[in-house]
Amino acid sequence: MFSHNPFAALSEVLPAIVMQGYVLLMAVAVVIGTLYDVQHKGSAEYFGRRRKRAEAEAKRRLSGGERFLLVLATIAEAAVSGEFCKWPRRITHLLKMYGFLLYVISTVVMVFGYPAGTQTPAVLPALWSLGALMILAGGLWFFFFQRVNVAFDGASPLHLGRADLFIGSLLASAFFALLWQHAQSAGAGAVLVWTLFGLYLFFTTLLFVTVPWSKFAHMFFKPAVAYQRKVEEASGSSDLPRPSAESFIVRS
Amino acid sequence: MPTFTDMTRCDGCGECVDICPSDIMHIDPVYRRSYNIEPNFCWECYSCVKACPHHAIDVRGYADFAPLGHKVRVLREPEKGAVSWKIRYRDGRVKEFVFPMRTTPWGSIKAAQDYPPPDPSALNSQLLSHEPEALHIPALPTIQGA
Repeated sequence: MFSHNPFAALSEVLPAIVMQGYVLLMAVAVVIGTLYDVQHKGSAEYFGRRRKRAEAEAKRRLSGGERFLLVLATIAEAAVSGEFCKWPRRITHLLKMYGFLLYVISTVVMVFGYPAGTQTPAVLPALWSLGALMILAGGLWFFFFQRVNVAFDGASPLHLGRADLFIGSLLASAFFALLWQHAQSAGAGAVLVWTLFGLYLFFTTLLFVTVPWSKFAHMFFKPAVAYQRKVEEASGSSDLPRPSAESFIVRS
Repeated sequence: MPTFTDMTRCDGCGECVDICPSDIMHIDPVYRRSYNIEPNFCWECYSCVKACPHHAIDVRGYADFAPLGHKVRVLREPEKGAVSWKIRYRDGRVKEFVFPMRTTPWGSIKAAQDYPPPDPSALNSQLLSHEPEALHIPALPTIQGA
């Protein structure tokens, strides 16, 4: 099942150019949605004001090399979700992040690199399936046990709100993707296969076109905020106190 | 002087919701980030400011003196048992203070039920449960000559 490329069979009905056009449309939707999101929430303006104030209060100017090292440190932190203090949240976030990257990148490679009639290497559908499974593992753990309104604010684990638009559509997309792939490889009836494909397509489209109203854009602005925090700490413009030079822990 | 959350820094971990003694730090249903649901009831205890691992919560001054530019920021370092304050006065002076919070590692305090039950004869003693060993001293101080 996991070595089956679901897009290859689809290309017998849908021309490869249509699938490629859809992928490009979704990419454009993410770009436009992200720009609109940071504009209409005012977060870009707030972030810009904070940056200017930090620059004005900086005790020393950072060189290009120092800034480059801070960029590397930010990438390293984001790669291991270092901003999370509690390991369960960190694990679910890493599963979702790397699962999503595998899922999206393998989709793009299969749709653009192996259009109709070409033999797909088995590793690509396997990576696609692995990505979807990682999304489901991390996403379901997060959805039922770690959502902050559920864990701290008394909401039901089944509660659905606008804040769940991103995680909900991501989970549904991965779930129906796997079901669609399984139905195809198991030789299920056309009605079932097309129904599952329709659900997969609906939730995938929902995931990408609702960026202005969902939490999708956090994957772009969070690293920018983390970088700015590092710049403020390094240039002496952070408004936080200096870390204590003394430890007061004297016994175990 | 109610608290407010920097949405770009908050990662929705819920620490502030858990610790707020007034139960006024809640989770926004749209963005799933924390926010103060009742600013008038905030008594600026700074519990959420200290608990926030991302320093995303700050305390806003009242409109009549906030423009004068004062600021109070805090950094909690449980691994050092320290809490540090940075005070920026309205005239621009900045002062920093460091205070000890505790002398034992974070999370090391045992709950009462984690200790073995005391002997019933301890009811006749003036010492409290697990004194003096739990205080890390050989004996409680006494008034000489009493």
